[in-house]
Amino acid sequence: MKLLDVRGVTKTFGKLKAVDSIEFGVEAGQICGFIGPNGAGKTTTMRMCATLEMPDTGDVYVDGISVLEEPRLARRRIGFMPDSYGAYANTTISDYLDFFARAYGLTGAKRRGVIERVVEFTSLGDLLDKEIGSLSKGMKQRLCLAKTLLHDPAVMILDEPAAGLDPRARVELRELVKALAQMGKAILISSHILTELSEMCSSVVVIERGQLKGGGAVADVVRSFNSTTQLFLRALAGPEACERRLLESPNVAKVRRERDGVAFEFAGGLDSQAELFAELAQSGLRPIELAVRDSNLEDIFLSLTEGKLQ
Amino acid sequence: MNAAAVKSPGLSVDDRLNPILVKEVRQALRGRYFRALFWLTLGVATLVGLSVTAQFGAHSLSESAGEAFFMVMFACLSAAVQGFTPFSAFLSTSAEWDENTHDLLVLSNLRPRQIVYGKLLSALVQALLYYSTFGPFLVFAFLLNGVDLRVIVVILAGSMAVCTSLTLLGVAAASLSPAKAPRILLMALFGVVLMIAWGMSLSVAGVLIDSPQVLRDPMALTGVGAFICSALVAGAFFAALAVARLSHEEENRSSGMRALSAALVLLAAGWGAWFNGRFGEHQAIFALQLGVVAPLALMWLFFLTEPERLGRHVEQHVSRNPLLAFLTLPFLPGGGRGALLMAFHMCAALLGAKLALALDPPGPLQANRTLVVILAFYAYAWVYIAAPAAFASWFVESARGRIVVRMAILALLPLVLLGPPLAGLLFSIPSWIDFLHPFNPVWAARELIDRGTNPLGMALLWLGLGVAVLMNAPRMAHGMREVFVASRRRRERSAAQPPQS
Repeated sequence: MKLLDVRGVTKTFGKLKAVDSIEFGVEAGQICGFIGPNGAGKTTTMRMCATLEMPDTGDVYVDGISVLEEPRLARRRIGFMPDSYGAYANTTISDYLDFFARAYGLTGAKRRGVIERVVEFTSLGDLLDKEIGSLSKGMKQRLCLAKTLLHDPAVMILDEPAAGLDPRARVELRELVKALAQMGKAILISSHILTELSEMCSSVVVIERGQLKGGGAVADVVRSFNSTTQLFLRALAGPEACERRLLESPNVAKVRRERDGVAFEFAGGLDSQAELFAELAQSGLRPIELAVRDSNLEDIFLSLTEGKLQ
Repeated sequence: MNAAAVKSPGLSVDDRLNPILVKEVRQALRGRYFRALFWLTLGVATLVGLSVTAQFGAHSLSESAGEAFFMVMFACLSAAVQGFTPFSAFLSTSAEWDENTHDLLVLSNLRPRQIVYGKLLSALVQALLYYSTFGPFLVFAFLLNGVDLRVIVVILAGSMAVCTSLTLLGVAAASLSPAKAPRILLMALFGVVLMIAWGMSLSVAGVLIDSPQVLRDPMALTGVGAFICSALVAGAFFAALAVARLSHEEENRSSGMRALSAALVLLAAGWGAWFNGRFGEHQAIFALQLGVVAPLALMWLFFLTEPERLGRHVEQHVSRNPLLAFLTLPFLPGGGRGALLMAFHMCAALLGAKLALALDPPGPLQANRTLVVILAFYAYAWVYIAAPAAFASWFVESARGRIVVRMAILALLPLVLLGPPLAGLLFSIPSWIDFLHPFNPVWAARELIDRGTNPLGMALLWLGLGVAVLMNAPRMAHGMREVFVASRRRRERSAAQPPQS
C-alpha cells in the first residue's frame, strides 16, 4: 500500500511552474530517493507532501488522507525534516525534545518514554544538557531526526539530510534511515550525494524543471535507461589512438578520455559487442583493459537530466 | 540512556500547560535578553526612586513626594510591561521565521491559536514578574500618600490591558511576513507604536494622579471600563490576525476575524445602550457605532476581496444542518459572503441602535437622525469598499491581483476626500476646499445631525447603497448556493455511510 501518494501535483509561483503534474508513490518500508538538479522542484514537492505548500492542482495522500482536505490529520502521519535546520536559541537538547513532544500532544510518562526511545535511537543520550547552538552539524541533524520521530510518523520526508555532513556522519545517518525503513515507514529522501542514495534507496524519482523524468525501483530504472552499454578501454597504444579507432566503429558513441584510457557507450547487442572486442584485440592497439561498467544512479541522473536550472 | 536526564516532570498540571509557554519561559530565564532587562529596569527604578526620596528629604516626605515616587516607578514599570515585554513577544515570533522553526511548529499538533496564546501567556508571565517586583515600590508610594488607591488600581488595570493588546500586536506584526526586510520595517514601526503608547500611558497616569476626583464620576469610570474593553478587543483582533497568518492556506483563516468583527458591532451597541440608558447620552449610540466602522472597514476590505470559492478543507466543515449552514453563511470565507457579513453588520448596528434608543428615548426626530447617521456611514462603506470589490471580483482571480485591488480601494478613500477640495480650488467652491462636500462621510454625518435629512441627500444615499448591493448580489447568491451545496453533500455523504453499531 502506498503510504505517500502524489497525484498529478502542480505548483506555480507567479509565472514559474515549479512542479508540473508530478505523480509517484512510496510504499511502507520503502526508501525512495528524490533526485534532481538544484531548482528542479524537489523541495517544493516535498513541502507540498508535508502540507507546507498548497498544490494548485492535484493532491497528495498521506496514509490515505488528503493533505488538501484534512491537512491537520495528514500532519500527524508526516515526519518532515526540512533542508534548513530549525533550532531555538538558549535551548538544550532535552528542552527541545520535551517542547516538541508536548507540541505533539504527548503527556507525562508517555512523553518521557518516547523521548527516551528517540534519544536512544539517535544516540544523543550523552548530550541532553548541551545547548543546541554548540552542537556539530551532524549532531544537529540527529537531533532534527529525533524530533521528527517523536510522534512516530508513518511517512518521513527528509530534504537533503546528508548535506554538509562528514563521511562518518553520513554513514551513520544512512544506517538510521535504513533502520527506519525496516520499521515499516515510507521514506522520501532527497540528496545530491547519489552514491549515498543508491546504497540505501529501493526506488528513485527523478525530477527536472518541475517535470518527472523517470522513476521506479532503482534496478528497474537503471535497466530501463540502459539502452547502451558503458565500456572502458585502456591500451598500450594510448588513449588518443583508442579514441581514433573507436570513432570509426559502428554503434559507438560518446567517446571520452578518462585517466589513461577511453570511456564510451556501445549501442549494439551482445554479438556486436563480442565482434568489437575481437576487432580491438587485433587492431594493434594492444589493449590491456576492456571492461563493462555498471550504470549507477549518477549515470542515470546525468543521462536523464540536462542540468538546466529554472 | 538515563531516564532522569530527560527533564520533563510528569505532573498533570505541567502537561496541561501550553507548550509554547513552557518553552518561552525556559528560554527567557536561560537567555540574556530578559535577565539583562529585568535587572536593568529594577536597578534604574531603585536608583531613581532613591534619588527622588533623597531630594525630598526624610523629614519632608509629603504628598508630592508620593506622587513623584509613584510616577517614577510607574514610568519604569510601564517601560517594562508595555515596552520590553511586547517587544520580546515580537522578537520571539520573529525568531520562529529566522530560526526556521515556524514550519516545525505548524507541522506539530499545536493549533495556530495555541501558538499565539502561548506567546501571549509567556509575555504575561514576564509582565507578572515585573508587577510583583515593582509591587513593594508601589505600596511604598501609596504609603507616602498623594496617590489614591483607586487611581493606582485603574492605572495598573489599564497598563495590564495595554500590555496584553500590545503583546498581541507584536505577535501579529511579526507573523505578517516571513521575509526579513519587511519585518525589520515592521519592528521599527512597532517600536514607534510602543514609544507612543508609553508616552500616552505616562500622560494619562499624570492626569489621574493630579485629578483623582475624576474617577469618582460614574461617567469617567464607564469611560475607563470602555477603554480597557477596547484595548482587549483590539488585542483579540490582533490575536485573530496572527492566528490567520499562522494557519494553513487551505484552512479557514477568515471565520475568526468575521466573528470578532460581529462582536465589535454588538459591543459598540452594548456600550451605546449603557451610555444612553445610564446617562441619557443618546449621541454615544452613533458615536460608538461610527467609531467601530474604521477598524471594520479594514476588515471588510479583506473579507470582500477574498477568493469566492470555499476551500476544500472548509467545505468539509460546513454544517450538515441547513439552518446552521444558513446562520453561519456570513462567517464563512469568500468575497460574496463578505458582502453578506457587511449586510449583517449593518442590520445589527441599526437594530442595536434601535434597542439602545428604546432604553431612554430621546424623541422621534433625534432617534430617527441617529439611525440615519449610522445608515449613512454604512452606505458610504458599501459604495467605497463593497462596490469596487464587487467590480474587481469580475476580473481578478489571482492572489497578487487581490493585493492590488486592496491597495487600490485603500487609495480610493483619500482620492475621493482630496479630489473635491482640489476641484474646489480650481472652480472656487470654498466649502469644498474645507472638505465640506458630499463625498466626505464625516461631512454627511454632521449635516444629518445638524440639519436633519433632506430628500435629495436621502435619495442619493439609497441610490448608492442600492447600486452597491446590486453589484454584490450575484456573488452573494453564489456564496449562499455554494454553502448550501456543501451542506447537502455532507448530508448525502453521512446518509450513504453505513450506520455504526
